[in-house]
Amino acid sequence: MDLVSDQGLRIDGRRPKELRKIRCKLGVFAQPEGSAYLEQGNTKVLAAVYGPHQVRNRSKALHDAAVVNCQYSMATFSTFERKRRPRGDIKSTEMTLHLKQAMQASIKTELYPYSQIDIYLEVLQADGGNYCACVNAATLALVDAGIPLKEYVIGCTASLGNGDVPLIDVSHLEETMGGSNLTVAVLPLSGQIAVLEMSQKFHVDHLSLVLNEALDGCRRIYEILNDTVKNHLSEIGAISGWGKSDL
Amino acid sequence: MYSVVLSDAEKTFIWDGVEVNLRNDGRKRNDYRPMELETDVVTHASGSARLRLANTDILVGVKAEIDVPSSETPTIGKIEFFIDCSANATPTFEGRGGEDLASEISSALQKAYDILPLNDLCIVPNLSCWKLYVDILILECGGNLYDAVSLAVKSALFNTQIPKVKAKYIDGVNVDLQLSDDLFECWKLDVSKAPCLVTLCKIGEFFVVDPTVEEEACSNGSIVVSVTHKGSITSIFKIGEGSFHRNAICEAIKFAGVIGCELNETLKLSLEKEESLGSQRERYGFLK
Amino acid sequence: MAENICISLAVQRVSSSVPPRGQLCKLFSPGEIIFPQSDFMRGHGTYPEDDVLKASVAGVMEQIGRLISIKPLKSRYNGEVGDVVVGRILEVTQKRWKVDTNSRLDSILLLSSVNLPGGELRRRSAEDEQMMRKYLIEGDLISAEVQSIYADGSLSLHTRSFTYGKLSQGILIKVCPALIKRSKTHFHNLPCGASIILGKNGFVWISPTTADSNSSGGFAQNLDQKVGKADREVIARLRNCVLALATNKIPLYSTSILHAFEESEKYLVSELLNPESMLDIAILTQHKIQMTEDL
Repeated sequence: MDLVSDQGLRIDGRRPKELRKIRCKLGVFAQPEGSAYLEQGNTKVLAAVYGPHQVRNRSKALHDAAVVNCQYSMATFSTFERKRRPRGDIKSTEMTLHLKQAMQASIKTELYPYSQIDIYLEVLQADGGNYCACVNAATLALVDAGIPLKEYVIGCTASLGNGDVPLIDVSHLEETMGGSNLTVAVLPLSGQIAVLEMSQKFHVDHLSLVLNEALDGCRRIYEILNDTVKNHLSEIGAISGWGKSDL
Repeated sequence: MYSVVLSDAEKTFIWDGVEVNLRNDGRKRNDYRPMELETDVVTHASGSARLRLANTDILVGVKAEIDVPSSETPTIGKIEFFIDCSANATPTFEGRGGEDLASEISSALQKAYDILPLNDLCIVPNLSCWKLYVDILILECGGNLYDAVSLAVKSALFNTQIPKVKAKYIDGVNVDLQLSDDLFECWKLDVSKAPCLVTLCKIGEFFVVDPTVEEEACSNGSIVVSVTHKGSITSIFKIGEGSFHRNAICEAIKFAGVIGCELNETLKLSLEKEESLGSQRERYGFLK
Repeated sequence: MAENICISLAVQRVSSSVPPRGQLCKLFSPGEIIFPQSDFMRGHGTYPEDDVLKASVAGVMEQIGRLISIKPLKSRYNGEVGDVVVGRILEVTQKRWKVDTNSRLDSILLLSSVNLPGGELRRRSAEDEQMMRKYLIEGDLISAEVQSIYADGSLSLHTRSFTYGKLSQGILIKVCPALIKRSKTHFHNLPCGASIILGKNGFVWISPTTADSNSSGGFAQNLDQKVGKADREVIARLRNCVLALATNKIPLYSTSILHAFEESEKYLVSELLNPESMLDIAILTQHKIQMTEDL
């Protein structure tokens, strides 16, 4: 079956270059230093950041940088078929590793020797692009926690429909029907790629096409997240008089 | 397990406060903190609910799947509880850190729900029935997990839509299950008889309901009682390392019966109120 | 319906927020260029790259001379020398206590930085080291001042003043450190009948006002003394007011807390746990602060 109809629409009614609706919020919980909730279409994730704090396992402490500790977990009710375990399987371990890779590319860990930063992600609803939604939510939670970053890390997927039409922000249905799928995590301002993963074969001619599409998606997601951050900041900052008026 | 450390002076302050019936946050011994409820928040589940009690945040998703009834109870369906303590709540839950707490709460729920009649979940005796997977996610801990989890579970079960299924015998032995033509034709489980858990936390010589994390830290034990809407008690167990006198337990159970009735009634009113808003009401989830 | 139990619905949640104060500021977010040249001194929350100065956190810019820094609205406590903090003892080791002050590393309180009975200038002997657990053990709360900052960024505390020392009966509240304003004094005996310590690290301590002001200087804890119900009510009300302000992001200092306390009188103490009444108090307090500032 074609992923793009004759009218140029995808299964869920989007155009090939259209992102799913992103809704997000910073500071959803009180206990962690930073937290965020992010919806990308029907994919919904929660992120929490603890730290920087003293490394719990002293043998792991680094004298010149902070330890970044991630955990990716999926609620057992998050998928269509019930999951038996929320984490600990090979797939979530791999996700954890990739998340750590993406976040480490941006966090200025050198500022916090002997410290540890915990980033926990909980997928509440999985509908494709889980990894990307997690990267985006984790970035927001880190910003909320006031942890210094080189810049945002943004994740986006892209795929190929009908043989040569690049599709952006792939949904679960398209993931399973289409097959080939490219996931990137990018530092959008400098254009650096922190994580790149391809699920199946592409023709080499198509690769740059799909990659460009994913990078373009990252830049657009960056704009959306940055707006959310600024709105959040100006709302809270204005209440407290910008934290400037020392008595 | 999740806990806080307090100094002796802070503990004394809490003990004395409970004694004069004025707790640190101004509540009396039998006051609950305000709660907030929302059902139908997870679209991938047959039913779901989120309950927030002060800082305690519980998300429950129910999934209905077709299963084979167990040979001892061929005419009733199944219900299974699974709890996951998310590391979002506290770093000590990372990895398998929350499993002890999770299994303690899920076994409490399993026992408490023994009395819920599950005959409606049977499709064909001996051959097929519905199995409800009640998956509970603890997202933030602010004390009193048992009560919060049980309220969230009851709300999620109230919200659960189970598809209508017709069973047809083919060749007399095997059964063919057919979903109703209308996919949206569903029925709901009657949860009015489902119990709520009431935790009574013993602080000094007195029992308090809805303890905060700090209060839990200076108590040497709690009694968890499951109570139905009529005030009957379906299970009792003790948590924590301390020990209780017989009289104290009797007193606690009586107290729990009264509180449990009120809890069930309040929850019922809230659920009915939300249902009356219709299925088109706005969902807030974590966005507001 | 029971009075002691309240389950509200998400649709009823209060959505309005406290009115803003002050003008709009230019905001920076991580990666954004602050100045296109790097001849500024880079402070916290900034980093140089390719000859430009960029922001590393989200917040507002502060400029002192040529020093540029970006201040995030929320973060862990970043200690500065002279700050008054409230901390909890984590560990007793030889010659020092480790203290949790909500910093990124555990803080240190040296045995030589506390007042021991028998005079300030006494030498610390081996017996004193063995007695350390007598003074402070794990879980105890102290008020202290940041004395210096070690090379790795951890804080060294001291309690060498009568105002500092072990805290006795009371309630600790943890709020975001950014909400605590620096002021001349962080110890207040409020006219409503309780004392409050606003730790710069976001730990707020509320306790009954004791008649003799020296009592907090040492390590004595009066566990037999029972706090009366009237005092408790004031403390509980203060606690709920502080939380109401903190949840609604209003800075905490003696004036804002007293305003909130006055506005809260129309509610019962336990009613102050409702989000609606918390917001109401926050809005009224904000209004009152603005009125007095305009005068």
